[in-house]
Amino acid sequence: MFKTTRPLFLAATLAVTWMLPATAETPAPQESTFWATEVNAGNLPPIQDRLPSEPLVVDLAAKGRDFGTPGGTLRTMVTRSKDIRQMVVYGYARLVGFNENYELTPDLLESFENEDNRKFTLNLRQGHKWSDGTSFTSEDFRYWWEDVANNEMLSPSGPPDFLIVEGKPPTVTFPDETTIVFEWESPNPDFLQTLAQARPPFIYRPSAFLKQYHDKFADADKLKLHVDDARVKSWAALHNKLDNLYKFDNHELPTLQPWLNASSGKKIRHNFVRNPYYHRIDSNGIQLPYIDVVELEIVAPGLVAAKTNAGESDLQGRGLAFRDASILKKGEAGGNYKTLLWKTGVASQIAIYPNLNFSDEGWRDVLRDVRVRRALSLAIDRKTINQALYFKLAHPGAMSVLSASPFYDEANAQAWAQYDIKMANTLLDDAGLSERDKNGIRLLPDGRPMELIIETAGERQEVENALQIVTDTWREIGVDLVMRPLDRDILRNRVFAGSTMASAWFGWDDGIPQAHTSPAYLAPTDQVFLAWPKWGQYYQTGGDVGEAPDMPEAERLMQLAHDWEVATTEDERKAVWTEMLKIHADQLYAIGILNGAPQPIVVSNRLRNVPEQAMWAWEPGAHFGIHRPDEFFFAD
Amino acid sequence: MTKHPDGRYVDEAPFDPNAALQQLERADLDAPNWILVWRKFRTHKLGLISGLFLLLCYLMLPFAGFIAPYGPNERNGEHLYAPPQSVNWFYEGALVGPYVFPIVAEADLETFQWKFVSDTQDPRPVRFFCEGAEYKLAGLIKSNTHLFCAPEGATLFLWGSDRLGRDVFSRILYGAQLSLTVGLIGITVSFSLGILFGSMAGYFGGKIDWVINRVIEVLRSLPELPLWLALSAAVPSNWSPVAVFFIISIILGILDWPGLARSVRAKFLSLREEEYVRAAEMMGASSGRVIRKHLLPNFMSHLIASATLSIPAMILGETALSFLGLGLRAPAVSWGVMLNDAQNLASIEIYPWTAIPMLPIIVIVLAFNFLGDGLRDSLDPYQQ
Repeated sequence: MFKTTRPLFLAATLAVTWMLPATAETPAPQESTFWATEVNAGNLPPIQDRLPSEPLVVDLAAKGRDFGTPGGTLRTMVTRSKDIRQMVVYGYARLVGFNENYELTPDLLESFENEDNRKFTLNLRQGHKWSDGTSFTSEDFRYWWEDVANNEMLSPSGPPDFLIVEGKPPTVTFPDETTIVFEWESPNPDFLQTLAQARPPFIYRPSAFLKQYHDKFADADKLKLHVDDARVKSWAALHNKLDNLYKFDNHELPTLQPWLNASSGKKIRHNFVRNPYYHRIDSNGIQLPYIDVVELEIVAPGLVAAKTNAGESDLQGRGLAFRDASILKKGEAGGNYKTLLWKTGVASQIAIYPNLNFSDEGWRDVLRDVRVRRALSLAIDRKTINQALYFKLAHPGAMSVLSASPFYDEANAQAWAQYDIKMANTLLDDAGLSERDKNGIRLLPDGRPMELIIETAGERQEVENALQIVTDTWREIGVDLVMRPLDRDILRNRVFAGSTMASAWFGWDDGIPQAHTSPAYLAPTDQVFLAWPKWGQYYQTGGDVGEAPDMPEAERLMQLAHDWEVATTEDERKAVWTEMLKIHADQLYAIGILNGAPQPIVVSNRLRNVPEQAMWAWEPGAHFGIHRPDEFFFAD
Repeated sequence: MTKHPDGRYVDEAPFDPNAALQQLERADLDAPNWILVWRKFRTHKLGLISGLFLLLCYLMLPFAGFIAPYGPNERNGEHLYAPPQSVNWFYEGALVGPYVFPIVAEADLETFQWKFVSDTQDPRPVRFFCEGAEYKLAGLIKSNTHLFCAPEGATLFLWGSDRLGRDVFSRILYGAQLSLTVGLIGITVSFSLGILFGSMAGYFGGKIDWVINRVIEVLRSLPELPLWLALSAAVPSNWSPVAVFFIISIILGILDWPGLARSVRAKFLSLREEEYVRAAEMMGASSGRVIRKHLLPNFMSHLIASATLSIPAMILGETALSFLGLGLRAPAVSWGVMLNDAQNLASIEIYPWTAIPMLPIIVIVLAFNFLGDGLRDSLDPYQQ
């Protein structure tokens, strides 16, 4: 009897979850003018056949936004040709996504169930379709899991890291067309958050399209023809080349994003047109996105502000910095736009990372001395930097979380961040660096002058200006700062190789963590935290390259990050977060200068539904993504 | 005068070979070369004025620190992007001597610009021979006395201040120390190399000529931009900006000599066939003496003229390199570095004074061109 009731019960709950939006009255969908001609010509099915049977209905009024009218072309700019992937970031169609309160809500998924962070059931929308009209079903997940992630040719390193818990992959099952179940032996609390990232791990693939290029499914002769045609070595190379849901550079690859790439190859200007199969509609029945075409232009970095000032962009955040604010304000009348100031969500706008894995032994020992790092931090005149660079609008302080995070602690934010030359000098004297040369520069234990070389990515003038001010104040504690501007990629490679003494970069991407956010980025788990590249490599490669963390505080951070993974209650997670932030505030692995810097956002006067005040953050938030650009529209 | 038996008359006074020279009509023709050049040059008014101006500029270089009211990297955090202040003499009809009004910065949160309000009730006279930032006179003597400085409690930004509140006027003066000398060092290197190799190739010919010609061709065929990129990466990052500047100017010179060497060689090929060269060789003059004493002076007008003409190219070259971020870097101060900072729309639209370093570059380059023009006209005084 039990056996028969259980499926029944399941079916009933499923039915209820499907019914729920239906009771809220799914409005009758309306055909958009953009695709009307195609529909009338019979090239495209009518709107009710393109939408999932239960589309995601957005009640804009409840969100405090206006209902829009479809149409228009949105012009925006990026600075590198590979940045067309920003359209995946801004589109922000994820299996689950953050809403404006940073809570996880189903997006592409109709619903999900989470049992103790061990078993996740993902329910797709019935009748959901890719942008080429093929069905989006559990087969797409199966294809990815079995034929891509676990295919040695396509993924030599196996499934992505975030799915491996305690060294074990999940069991993935596909009970029916719309259900996928991920199950682990140990909890994987970060699973859903990872799916909502700005750069999400795509755990599904358009299988109908990609099977043409998979040797398990494709006809061998045809595949060989394709491979030769593309001039690549193997079918796997061809498959990987075409399979770029994130890079967005293959216009033939179906997508689920609100806009699809309509330009092939590399161009100066890329057009993205509305996805006829997009799953979201407003409560009037109009399919989102409101905007028909997004025109993405690739321009030189120095020109973004100038072109925006001339009114050549309808929505621009990327490529603008606060120092452009005055020029943007000045052009408002002529360019028919307004300049909003959002808050940046990074933990620190400018942070100096002393490299604890620097290859020079003498220097490494000095930089590993916490007194030295504290002295360097104390000798930064943050108030002056704030005034000179950010009009006093940013918050001077060490690198910690922002006040919007529940873990914000004033003591952490101000730890070793007051301007105190005397104390800094005492700390350095205590650290055994009391000898000075004739210019007043301190000498290292091995007799070299203390010339601290900070390498920068050379792309943000504000960093160079800030370091210029730091140079003056560090001279008073006998430290000679030498700034070396490099290229972003060269800088990273040099840091990863251990040949950089110190570098300047942003702080943590996520400055507003919640208890459900994984604190892995506070621990030495990734080389991109520029203070411990070797420790990060050690963890990332499972010990093949790099060095194991050999400072007690770093080891403690690793332990805590693991504690968070296995924690079962909210309180435990909060305790882990608090302790990790305390360690960072105390140890100053990165010396933050200020945070919460204003980010100018230029919005055309015709564009509606763009929030006046918001957070400009890559993670979580995907820059514009969390504010749902598919709901923006032109009023005219 | 005595009469010889054969009826001839002979003057008894000894022959004075200089007598002829002292006659008036010979004076002009036999005057030393430099006098002739100077006489000719004086008639070239534009060249003369330019020459005097440049002379003044170079004489000023060692005293730049004395003339500048502020230090090169002295920041004034309260006055960012301050516009140029005017210095007035008369206040309410009375002569008070040069004075300025104190300015106060107010943050304008509407436009995100600093608004400067000057207190017109409070004229403050500029101080003279006052104490300010420490500097080294001619790079040797430490001093902190300035020709003039800001009044107490006020600022003196003659040409405004930049984004960190540094005085543009003072920075232009300090920048001249680098920007005006980088040309000279580069020219010296390139001219000594060019003349040396050019004259050797032209005078000796044969194998030496062939080898030097090939070297010239190889050097000329090198693409310059990748070379600069490689060089800028090769310079150790802990070198002082001055050391970097020195290396850069020498490299500029090393790459610049082939053009000159070519023209020296061509001229020498024709000159060495002249009779007087043959005569000198037959009298046993060494090759070096023939080149230095007989050939080069014939060629001087061309050399000096082309030197003055390539100094501007050198100054602009340093500027172009700094502009690319490859040449001089902060905290070194040169005109190129300053222009590099002014390389954005805001500087042109809102803070035009940060682009003032353009003016001295234009003026200096024009002056050198006029001077070269005048010299070329006057160095061949016999040629009319």
